[in-house]
Amino acid sequence: MQYSFTLRTIYPYLGELQSAAWLTLSLSVLAIVLSIALGTVVAVMRRSPRRLLRFAGAAYVEVMRNTPLLVILYIVYFGGPSIGLRLRSYDAALIGLTLNAAGYMAEIIRAGLIAVPTGQFEAASSQGFTTMQSFRHVVFPQVFRTIYAPLGNQVIAVILASSLASVIAVDEVASWMETVGSTSFRFFETFVVAAVVYLVLCQAVNLARVLIGRMLFRTAAVR
Amino acid sequence: MNDSLLTYLPLMAKAAGTSIWLSWLGLLLGIVVGAGIALLRRSQIVPLRWLALIYTEFWRSIPILIVMFFAYYGAPLLLGFDLSPFTAATLALALHASASMAEIIRAALASVGRGQWEAAQAAGMSGWQVMRYVAAPQALRVALPPSIGVFITTLKESSLASVIGYIELTKTGLLVRDATGGGLAPLLALGAFYFLLNYAISLAGLAAERRFHVGRRQDLVGAMT
Repeated sequence: MQYSFTLRTIYPYLGELQSAAWLTLSLSVLAIVLSIALGTVVAVMRRSPRRLLRFAGAAYVEVMRNTPLLVILYIVYFGGPSIGLRLRSYDAALIGLTLNAAGYMAEIIRAGLIAVPTGQFEAASSQGFTTMQSFRHVVFPQVFRTIYAPLGNQVIAVILASSLASVIAVDEVASWMETVGSTSFRFFETFVVAAVVYLVLCQAVNLARVLIGRMLFRTAAVR
Repeated sequence: MNDSLLTYLPLMAKAAGTSIWLSWLGLLLGIVVGAGIALLRRSQIVPLRWLALIYTEFWRSIPILIVMFFAYYGAPLLLGFDLSPFTAATLALALHASASMAEIIRAALASVGRGQWEAAQAAGMSGWQVMRYVAAPQALRVALPPSIGVFITTLKESSLASVIGYIELTKTGLLVRDATGGGLAPLLALGAFYFLLNYAISLAGLAAERRFHVGRRQDLVGAMT
């Protein structure tokens, strides 16, 4: 069978692609910010002196890391209404993505917290730092250094994972590829275009990570 | 959980077997292709190294879902014949896994010191013999724990085969949900199935780590799905 690759056939759909790309971006950025916040809470729980909190934190991480995001999205979007939770598909996707990503973020942040010995905290308070000050000036800079590289990887993972929102009817890039592909029968072109969008997003994050890392840490070791 | 859902659990257990088989196949193919790419990354010829790097970066930078779509809807346009959902899903999982496996195998081979190669060559071993008797056994120890992470990722990614109409665990869960009149319970059961499978694999991985005294499970980029 002859198939000629002609990008011109999908020109009419490029306007929709733009709004799709914005949806992918906004969904990813929101999910990243929210999951870092939730992940921090879970990471702190896992270091709590209370056993119950530690267990709850660990259980959360294990459940999220071992369950497919697709199933979590189905639970939030399709399962929500049966417990009285009716969500728009975008909100459901954001919640599912955030819950899932927080499991990974928690592990990254926990590793960062472990890397700072408690002695540092004690030394800072013996120097008259308040808890807030020792966190701000002593602990945080070191934690940030440790989590910087894995956090960058996770940001990329969230962008890629946001594609699953298309399955619950969010019109982002993957959904654009499927709809335009099946209306124009130009699956090869739409695949190439969608792949380029994700490639550009991911490689831009990668590049930004390396450049900002160089600026912040002034060393090749952490990149 | 109501009675009718309980009667469907054996069906879901069978579907779980299908999902494991699908991801196992994807992983095996991914290991074969990934090993080839890892060897290319070590090649003397610079363009080959570049090609291998572009290959890994490409597959690691696009979501598995659009690879799935492409394998099912797009690839037949190029090949001239249709792929079954099973073939398309296996292909997509294998391509995605091959990029991760290439990175893992490359890092594992790199962890075997230069001195080992030189010593083995000095002892009169051929390139292949060094690989077979010196480098590979040591690299295998290093590659095992992260490979378990890839298996878990692949099993989670295999849930997307449901989107192109392959009846595996997720699709079965949705069908059971329809058959039992909707609700949350079938979806929670579905999640529990995946969790138990992956948790079991991850525990087996921990046991292997302890046995080989090496690294930890690492979820690579793209692992979230």
